[in-house]
Amino acid sequence: MAHERTNVRTAGTRLLRRGAQGMRRTVARRPRVFVYLSILGPGVITASAGNDAGGIATFASVGADHGYKLLWLLIPLTVSLGIVQEMCARMGAVTGKGLSDLIRERFGVRWTVLVMLALLIANGGVTVSEFVGVAAAMELFGVAPYISVPIAAIAIWWLVVKGSYQRVERVFLIMSLVFLGYIVSAFLAHPQWGTVLRETVRPNLELTPAYLFTLVAVIGTTISPYMQVFIQSSVVEKGIRAENYSFTRADVWIGAVFSNAVVFFIVVATAATLYSHGEHVDTAAEAAHALRPLAGPYAAMLFAFGLLGASLLAAGVLPLATAYSISEAFGFEKGVSSNFREAPIFLGIFTFLVALGALIAMIPGLPLIRVLLVTQVINGLLLPVVLIAVLRLVNDRELMGARVNGLIYNLAAWLTTISVSALSLLLILGTLFPKLFS
Amino acid sequence: MLYLSLVLGRPILDLEGERVATLKDVIVRLGEDDHPPVAGFVARYRRRDFFLPRWRISQFREDGVRLNSDILDLRPFMRRDGEVLLARDVLDKQLIDVDGKRVVRVNDVQIIEAANEWHVIGADVSLSGLWRRLAPSILRTGRPVEVIDWADVGYLATDAATVQLKSSRGKLARLHPVEIARLAEAFSYQHGTQIVESLDDETAAETLEEMAAERQAQILGDMDEERAADILEHMSPDEAADVLGDLPEEKAEDLLNRMEDDEQLEVAELLPYADDTAGGLMTTEFVTLPRDLSVGEALARLREMAQTPNMIYYLYVVSGENSWNLTGVIALRSLILSDPSAPLERVMRSDLQVAHPDDRAADVAQKIAEYNLLALPVVDDAGEILGIVTVDDAIEILLPKDWRNRLPRLLG
Repeated sequence: MAHERTNVRTAGTRLLRRGAQGMRRTVARRPRVFVYLSILGPGVITASAGNDAGGIATFASVGADHGYKLLWLLIPLTVSLGIVQEMCARMGAVTGKGLSDLIRERFGVRWTVLVMLALLIANGGVTVSEFVGVAAAMELFGVAPYISVPIAAIAIWWLVVKGSYQRVERVFLIMSLVFLGYIVSAFLAHPQWGTVLRETVRPNLELTPAYLFTLVAVIGTTISPYMQVFIQSSVVEKGIRAENYSFTRADVWIGAVFSNAVVFFIVVATAATLYSHGEHVDTAAEAAHALRPLAGPYAAMLFAFGLLGASLLAAGVLPLATAYSISEAFGFEKGVSSNFREAPIFLGIFTFLVALGALIAMIPGLPLIRVLLVTQVINGLLLPVVLIAVLRLVNDRELMGARVNGLIYNLAAWLTTISVSALSLLLILGTLFPKLFS
Repeated sequence: MLYLSLVLGRPILDLEGERVATLKDVIVRLGEDDHPPVAGFVARYRRRDFFLPRWRISQFREDGVRLNSDILDLRPFMRRDGEVLLARDVLDKQLIDVDGKRVVRVNDVQIIEAANEWHVIGADVSLSGLWRRLAPSILRTGRPVEVIDWADVGYLATDAATVQLKSSRGKLARLHPVEIARLAEAFSYQHGTQIVESLDDETAAETLEEMAAERQAQILGDMDEERAADILEHMSPDEAADVLGDLPEEKAEDLLNRMEDDEQLEVAELLPYADDTAGGLMTTEFVTLPRDLSVGEALARLREMAQTPNMIYYLYVVSGENSWNLTGVIALRSLILSDPSAPLERVMRSDLQVAHPDDRAADVAQKIAEYNLLALPVVDDAGEILGIVTVDDAIEILLPKDWRNRLPRLLG
């Protein structure tokens, strides 16, 4: 054949004929379009997720019931949150595996059952709190819970199972940005900044059941067990690895500081508006009062809008994430694109959590704010289980190599774990034996 | 038949039936055998692990292990090449079930005795397997178990570096590259890389092409450079160019220079184009025919081609031998159906749709969809054909993002 291969003409062979053969080539950099240039990394998003319905209720109560007295907690809490989240992010980057994956592979079945049970209960509680948030928000719009909650539950279930939840997720996220209004409100309420600053740096600890309850609730909502699972999976999903981990570490710390800064202003705003007038937060409408300096008569509407967004966002994500973690740990078939026959346990857990949350939120006469606080306390009580697992894993040299915790880091992490455990224990004792502290 | 979970922690007895140690792990030797044999045991005595070779054991049952002599050799345990510890490396780990085309987690391991040897026959992945490890024996029910035959284990995701299933090498290749890619993405990045590395160059290239762009770059970036270059050569030039564009500059240059000349040039030619243009989307593998051929001659040439590109359904007619000046296009269908003696000029369509290398990728995809094309030629200002954009690349652009990554993200 005269033209054996010239009929398969590629641009490459064309160059060959021009005598480019054997030349050392440089890679011309193609102009890159940074489609995804976002400041919001997994660290910031996860930490901000702590400011959901339960979080808002807790911080509003803190401000209304205790004024500025609990502000000191925010600094150690920010450090603890940063440390805990950083450990999980690091594990995700180094191992490429999720938290429940690691727990199962390193600790075996029994420990896995214990941790997963803790996670299921804690996340179940948070899911309940999200639906309570929906109920409370819609009540401010004049819609009764037995109408709003079932509609929300069915809509969320449908959106997630049909795989289109991602599209509405962003809307909810933007709605929840309303809570940034607390920052403005805090300034407009003209708090005594001197007192605020003093209370921020001066620790005080009261051994009363009410104080302990609030303390554990604040810890539980700031460092929730689900957040460790979240951060680690999103680090894994984003393909972040040990080599390019430093950005993520910064992101995690920025997230911890940012979310606690928001918390700070929520507490200041409520303390300045409610505590100074001797008001308490028993209903969502009262929690909304702290936004009055900003929005005046529209405070309730604004609050409801933000609460609805935050609650709907987490009400979909939490049950889904829980179902994922448990299925991952035990090796059940998982994924929203599968049906009930293929992934019965995965979809079962998801459906169960959504249904449970909705049913509890619909109980007539439920003290909504109280329920929100209790769910955060449950988080706090179960946190040590997850923290101990995290600490053991992150110090496992076989897993983490040289990237295990340093000495000071370990001290701080263990101190966090021990303090949380001690506080939880005290709270349980105080609840069981009310005379203990009197 | 024995279950691993039931024998772990059982006593190791001497000839008199005295307990001398505790069974800590079972060592299996991986090789060509579909059902690998037990090579020995790890025994634990006074917080130290020591090694018991297979020939020292007379009995291995659910109630424990019996030694065949009273002489206890306290050799400390050291893992040897190709050995797997069932409790440490297999139990609770994930593996690929080639038969069911899925990733499963090992809840228990089944061992049978055959011809005075013990063999691993399968991995229990059922709920019963979990329950067996949790519940006291009284509560155990005879519920059915779901066992993956060890012969179907395509990949074992364990951290022990020396352990790779030599015998599994061919098994993964039984799956379609799309399936391998989907399964590999379920693992951590380290294991994902191992999976791709275990494939032959051709399958590895096809598997990578099915993965997300960043993941492809990561995997190739982690590999030995020579191997990565070999795999790149087997990828289609446009995919290879995309991957190189995602790698750090030095790494990309290194890999490109390790590639064979032909493939290197094809890829290099594509590199300067931006991702989101027709140039970035196109592949340089297409067929051209000079316009003065007859239909019969054209068909004969197609048959004699040393290597045919994937896309031969459209044949591009150029103004002469060694020319790149595009004058028309013929669908393979009309070529086959036409009179062999007719000149190509008469059969071809000259009113064809083309794209410019700088055209936006979305517009190109839109055009392909609009005109129901399988491919669209990319032509430069001088009217010379540079490459073609095929319909599969267009689909990727047209499908909504949600469809492409159907793995739901937890956050963000």
